[in-house]
Amino acid sequence: MRWKACRRAAIACGLVGIVFTGYSARLIDLQVTKHEEYTALAAQKHSIRLTVPAHRGIILDRNREILAANIPVRKVVVDGSHVKNPEALATLAAPCLGIPKATLLKELQTRSKYKVLLPGLEEEKALALQRAMEEKSLRGIYFHQNTTRTYPNGPLLSHVLGFLARKDPNDENVVGVEGIERSMENYLRGIDGFRHIERDRTGREIMIYRGQEQAPRHGMNVQLTIDMGMQAILEAELDNAFKELKPDNATGVIVDPKTGEILAMTSRPTFDLNQINAAKHEEMKNRAIFDMVEPGSTFKIVVACAALNERVVNPKTLIYCENGAFSYGGRILRDHHGYGQMNVHDILMKSSNIGSAKMALMMGDQKFYEYVRRFGFGERTGVALPGEIAGLVHPPARWDRLTITRMPMGQSVAVTPLQMVMGMSVIANGGKLMRPQIIKSIQDKDGHEILSMKPEVVREVVPPETARLVGGALAEVVSERGTAALARVSGFTVAGKTGTAQKVDSKGGYAPGKYVVSFIGYIPAEDPRFVCLILIDDAKLSSGLNYGGLVAAPIFSRVAEKTARYLDLMPSPGTTASLPVALGQSDVTEFR
Amino acid sequence: MTVIENRRKYVNPIHIAPLFKWLMLASLVACCGLLFVFIKNQQHFLGEQTREVERQIRDMRSQSEVLLARISTLSSRAELQRKLNQGLIALQPIQDHSIARIGQPVTAERDGVLRTAANERFRP
Repeated sequence: MRWKACRRAAIACGLVGIVFTGYSARLIDLQVTKHEEYTALAAQKHSIRLTVPAHRGIILDRNREILAANIPVRKVVVDGSHVKNPEALATLAAPCLGIPKATLLKELQTRSKYKVLLPGLEEEKALALQRAMEEKSLRGIYFHQNTTRTYPNGPLLSHVLGFLARKDPNDENVVGVEGIERSMENYLRGIDGFRHIERDRTGREIMIYRGQEQAPRHGMNVQLTIDMGMQAILEAELDNAFKELKPDNATGVIVDPKTGEILAMTSRPTFDLNQINAAKHEEMKNRAIFDMVEPGSTFKIVVACAALNERVVNPKTLIYCENGAFSYGGRILRDHHGYGQMNVHDILMKSSNIGSAKMALMMGDQKFYEYVRRFGFGERTGVALPGEIAGLVHPPARWDRLTITRMPMGQSVAVTPLQMVMGMSVIANGGKLMRPQIIKSIQDKDGHEILSMKPEVVREVVPPETARLVGGALAEVVSERGTAALARVSGFTVAGKTGTAQKVDSKGGYAPGKYVVSFIGYIPAEDPRFVCLILIDDAKLSSGLNYGGLVAAPIFSRVAEKTARYLDLMPSPGTTASLPVALGQSDVTEFR
Repeated sequence: MTVIENRRKYVNPIHIAPLFKWLMLASLVACCGLLFVFIKNQQHFLGEQTREVERQIRDMRSQSEVLLARISTLSSRAELQRKLNQGLIALQPIQDHSIARIGQPVTAERDGVLRTAANERFRP
């Protein structure tokens, strides 16, 4: 009997022992064997790596006017595992988020722990919704910091500034895809910081368990060489011309010839940076660097400089201009009017095709080609804007017999508007080809300068004396005897050159009755402060009126007059205050 | 056996010193525990305060940036042009006769020698 009792006790103890051994084994399994696994699981549930977003740098003009800024917004995300009452949450949040209740309810019933509802909700609305949710003890919707880019001037300078877009539709991050936003992406974009935090079961951060953190490095500010006063003048005039002349497109560029700084740059048609979805592809092209055109007679400065510099001709050399019809290579080259003997000065002033062709013939293919390249044609200028093209200048080996007579008058060659302005700047600044600059400096977020751009001379194309001789002839172009009397500016001496080129047809050859007209000039001629190009592509005018001197020159005159007033330039001594004839001059006072 | 001897035999004396020692030890442990809890609470409280201040700074920065963007928009050329067209502001172009231009200062004589303001020639 006693033995039986002992046995029962032993069995009971054994069973208890087995149970406790099982518990112990499980405890060891949880605490030791699977320690790492469960620690990671716990960390995953409560610890998160929070990204602290870096601010994108702003873009400023040379006078520190803000051209691109950031507006803080909140990215609205839903954590499906925290949504306990989707119906009440949807009722509360739908009006704030501007999402229909039914749609929102569907979104809230997700199992995902991170689903973006809205990429950018206004700060005030987000805070109001957050407060309302706290009052009603609802959770599941969270508001993460985010920013959206804004361009206060809308369509002004849109081609230069560019815009941001998603690299890939599934990627939330946006990057610069055009203009300065793209070329300066590495400076503008900061580096996001991070912070390891732990959250309680309500999702609030437990401060004392805050872990490793790294502050974000905010993006740099980029200051441009653009002067928004001049930009506004140029854009207003180009707008008027675009409405009045209805060209396919129009381009305007203003450059400081001494430093190569781009002061204004625009194209038409244009688009509003704040309504990027409404913009068409054609409107987004920065034609000053994307498009190449035959420059027409503005190219004659190259042959004149080359011939004078190579001493093939001197200022007094007379060239017979064949009375307006020169037979060469089986084709007849014509002038607008028939001219006899003319020197270089008069050839430029009257824009004689034959005189220019003869100068090139006297120089020879190779030498002329060398000067074309020395002026920077056929190579990228190196401006800090994406997508610049080099233009098209064939080497002499690929020329036909006529090329040597066509290229001096701006045919058989294709250049960008920016190359044309920089070419004219060579004459304006005494013979030096400058690298065009659009970036003035890079600054940190407190405005301290980190990097400052200095003017860069690419090469000396011609000596100052040659540039002065050609510049003298260009000043005569704007006289009563020249081709661009309408480019005159009251109180200032102007130098410049007109260009009228037949438009190249995409199917080959030239499009009949279509012209690309231009005027490039600088002011004051004796000490140039800026060089301005106006280029109008296929203005809807009759052929008899579609000339650079009649279409582009008056636009230049209006831009130059307003710019001279804006810069408060001292009037040139000995100039008469004759007002230029203006096409469609606006009577409305403009803010600039 | 005397009365006094009997009393000594049946009395259990209280030893104050060891009792005090243990009490002190227990109090110390209790105080440490309470201090630990207090510090922990303080940490949580300060953490909450830090979080609140961080939130305020973040909100303030956000507001500042919103206002900066709003100022930029309201003072942009397009906006000013709109106000000008609506007659909300008026601009009068400065006429030439209203501008006084100061010529370049003369700093040297023809001989290239710089002159001071008190020219020696005019000294008595």
